[in-house]
Amino acid sequence: EKDESTASKDSATEVASKSREGTAETPKQKLLDLIGNMKVEVSYRNKLQQLKTREIKKQATNKLEGPDSEGSMLQKTTEDTQRGKPLNPELVKAASAVASSLPLNKKQTESELLAQLRRHEETTDKQKKGGTINIRNVISEMAVKRQSPAQGGLRISRRISLELDEDGHRIKSERLSPQSSDSRRSLKVGRRLNIFTKASKETENALKTVSSPTIWDLEFAKEIGAITAQPPRNGFEEMIQWTKEGILWEFPIDNEAGMEDDAEFHEHIFLEKHLEDFPKQGPIRHFMELVICGLSKNPYLSVKQKIEHIEWFQKYFEEKKELLQEI
Amino acid sequence: PCPRQVRSYYVDWRMLRDVKRRKLAYEYADERLRINAIRKNTILPKELQEVADKEIADLPRDSCPVRIRNRCVLTSRPRGVKRRWRLSRIVFRHFADHAQMSGIQRAMW
Repeated sequence: EKDESTASKDSATEVASKSREGTAETPKQKLLDLIGNMKVEVSYRNKLQQLKTREIKKQATNKLEGPDSEGSMLQKTTEDTQRGKPLNPELVKAASAVASSLPLNKKQTESELLAQLRRHEETTDKQKKGGTINIRNVISEMAVKRQSPAQGGLRISRRISLELDEDGHRIKSERLSPQSSDSRRSLKVGRRLNIFTKASKETENALKTVSSPTIWDLEFAKEIGAITAQPPRNGFEEMIQWTKEGILWEFPIDNEAGMEDDAEFHEHIFLEKHLEDFPKQGPIRHFMELVICGLSKNPYLSVKQKIEHIEWFQKYFEEKKELLQEI
Repeated sequence: PCPRQVRSYYVDWRMLRDVKRRKLAYEYADERLRINAIRKNTILPKELQEVADKEIADLPRDSCPVRIRNRCVLTSRPRGVKRRWRLSRIVFRHFADHAQMSGIQRAMW
């Protein structure tokens, strides 16, 4: 819609120039009527609302800064007048027509459009005068370095002096400040060139917010991995690939690879605490003590497996309780 | 495209049955061990041991490890199988003569 409006403004200016030559005003009026009749879609509302909020914020900040509302208004008017050429009345009319066609606040949109127009004119004026970036200013600061061979020799000798004092310490020539030694002129002299603008902080914040990787991202990553994985060029690369897959062990071999036994030795050996549920006297206790003795000497089972072993026996003997009581 | 033979089935049905027995034996190994520990006991009462006997007999027949036969992996031959290579003597000789067994040489002394 903005392109349309600018196009319409351009066409309006063309038509206006034609009308100045002496023809009738009907085509321009027709255009204006067309613009007035144009109905903007609802989707444009959001953009306008954003624009509105921004304008409101700007106005609020301006009001806070200025002492009075009148004073701020005066400032605004002075700014307007300072902006040089007054706008083309034709353009103003076109802007008012466009504003009337849009569904929201007429005056606000009008003022925004006029502000945009002013900005356009400013930039065009600047470019006409000569541009902000003057290449002459840039080149004036630069100078071609000429190294004479005598000076080169001097510099090399200046770098490391292998002379020794009486004590045995090296004689170091006075260290020049790094800035002046690098360039004949200091770095902070010269006109500001205004080539670079400060990087906005918004992009940094936008980069930080990363959502959890979707399935498509994972698939993409897998694809890239599959494409970049070239067949191994030699035996070493083949062995590396096998080690990654797990086919080949890692050398030097550690006997506890894959085994994550976090339990201490005392948990393996002193298993009597698991025998609390058993009767303290009788053949069952005797039997279980033998079982525990055997388990404590077993290095192949983990603590969990040993506990399961004992619990199985517990269950078994509980099921057979009635039988045992008959005996 | 593969240089070796591609075998997608077991060599014969006997090999398949052997595979089933091995799987079952793995599953019931712990239980069998524990029930046998109760049976082969002099401390526990005999009635308990008899009950344990019946229980172990109730387990599926293929779960006992005694039924597993170390067959040749390639030909399913039940006899003449060397344990280290799991191959029957004929296959072993075939591969060794074609220099496809690492570290194997014809004996001469």
